[in-house]
Amino acid sequence: MKLDPGFIYDAFLQLLSALPMTLLLTGVPAAGGLLIGTGVAFIRHYRVRGLHLIVAGYVAFIRGTPALMHLFLVYFGSPVIIDFFARKLGLDFNSASIPILYYVFLAFSLTAGAYLSEFIRAGLLAVDKGQVEAAYAVGMTALQAFRRIVLPQALAVSLPNMTNVVIGLLHGSTLAFTVTVLEVFGKANIVANQNWKYFEAFIAAAILYWGITILLETASARLEKRINRYHRGGVA
Amino acid sequence: MIQVRGLTKSYGKQKVLGHIDLQLQKGEVTAILGPSGSGKTTLLRCLNFLEKPNAGEIAIGDVTVNCKGAGKRDIHKLRQKTAMVFQNYHLFKHKTALENVMEGLVVVQKLLKADARARSQLMLDKVGLADKQDAYPSQLSGGQQQRVGIARALALNPEVVLFDEPTSALDPERVGEVLEVIRSIAREGITMIIVTHEMAFARDVSNHVVFMDDGAIVEEGPPQELFGSPKEERTRQFLKRMTQEWSYTI
Ligand SMILES: Nc1ncnc2c1ncn2[C@@H]1O[C@H](COP(=O)(O)OP(=O)(O)OP(=O)(O)O)[C@@H](O)[C@H]1O
Ligand SMILES: [Mg+2]
Repeated sequence: MKLDPGFIYDAFLQLLSALPMTLLLTGVPAAGGLLIGTGVAFIRHYRVRGLHLIVAGYVAFIRGTPALMHLFLVYFGSPVIIDFFARKLGLDFNSASIPILYYVFLAFSLTAGAYLSEFIRAGLLAVDKGQVEAAYAVGMTALQAFRRIVLPQALAVSLPNMTNVVIGLLHGSTLAFTVTVLEVFGKANIVANQNWKYFEAFIAAAILYWGITILLETASARLEKRINRYHRGGVA
Repeated sequence: MIQVRGLTKSYGKQKVLGHIDLQLQKGEVTAILGPSGSGKTTLLRCLNFLEKPNAGEIAIGDVTVNCKGAGKRDIHKLRQKTAMVFQNYHLFKHKTALENVMEGLVVVQKLLKADARARSQLMLDKVGLADKQDAYPSQLSGGQQQRVGIARALALNPEVVLFDEPTSALDPERVGEVLEVIRSIAREGITMIIVTHEMAFARDVSNHVVFMDDGAIVEEGPPQELFGSPKEERTRQFLKRMTQEWSYTI
């Protein structure tokens, strides 16, 4: 077997057609995970009664099991649940009408949400209680103090870790291949099969993933610098 | 006017405040003195419910709250009548000096941004920090941070400003600038309660002095009386010790 360097370039161009799907599989769960992670972190930080044990169980389960497992559980499990309730409620609705992609979004969001919640929680702990008291003293409600004072600082602290989660999502998006969603890795497989040039196709895919990863890291480093302006200090 | 009736506070079994009665007139500056652990901070923090009192009644302006059944609404109303200056400043670290002062005006009092900004600049100017409005807390000295804290409290235009040892976390050479600012706003007739260990300052800035010990008010009155001719033995001992310490440090 001989390496065909020219085909790496051809394959790369063909892979670009699947790039939007890979980005979608990264971006949507990142946003969903941030929402879930913030909610979970809030519930655990403030020990919201009745909920905080449940969400602690969720985090422990997700962190204790592989992401592929979450994908399969959601993919095979949620249609059963949805159809059960549709029948119970007498709705004319069948889970088959839900696009596969939605299950993937849900599964990846749940995975990311658990990890993000831990990092956000660490960020919340880094904001001193005094600032919260100061917020209450100027008349803010607990929610206002959380949203305006605590959360921005917590997110700034956890930004490097959150970037790693997003990069994890990018790399983990390859798992969608197993449930027939066509993203970059799946596309690489097809290109490889059609041309019998496996090594070249996967080198092209690797370059693409690596490139996006570098972009994400750069963007995050810039954002971090901007957000953390207030940490510089010592000027006056 | 501020009226406190029968305020009590315990942590578990330990009683920290026992039945406090207190009445302050509008425009009056009240200094609270007392040995460490006597409950001064706790009393101050009960007034804006940073600590929840066990019982009693707090009336500030037109808001009266019965501590026992106080709900979120009551607490929120009470907090809008008060402002607090903390020992460790507690500025919002991710916001500039100006944004720190504006925050309550925009978020709580719902002022327009432009109005809030103008008012906040005025306040920063009042504490002598007009040129530092864009600095973050980490870029300010302790004294400057505390002056921002004072501007943040004043901007709210509260019925009463609560000060908890505003200078005790400062380097000695920074104490003067903060006391000077407090002195100048006292002259404007803003109602204040100041917990302090600065005896000389308490004596000349206040109209009313309260001496606490062991979770109770031992004695109160005008500064000339309380410092000049204290009636209670405990007050005499405390003042003697404090003035001795004071003269040692000189
Ligand atoms: N969160 C708490 N839990 C338990 N006990 C507390 C708590 N906060 C204060 N106390 C106790 O309440 C008493 C009064 O404390 P407080 O801080 O009000 O005193 P203080 O007069 O402000 O003292 P200082 O001059 O040292 O600031 C002290 O005995 C203290 O140990
Ligand atoms: Mg104290």
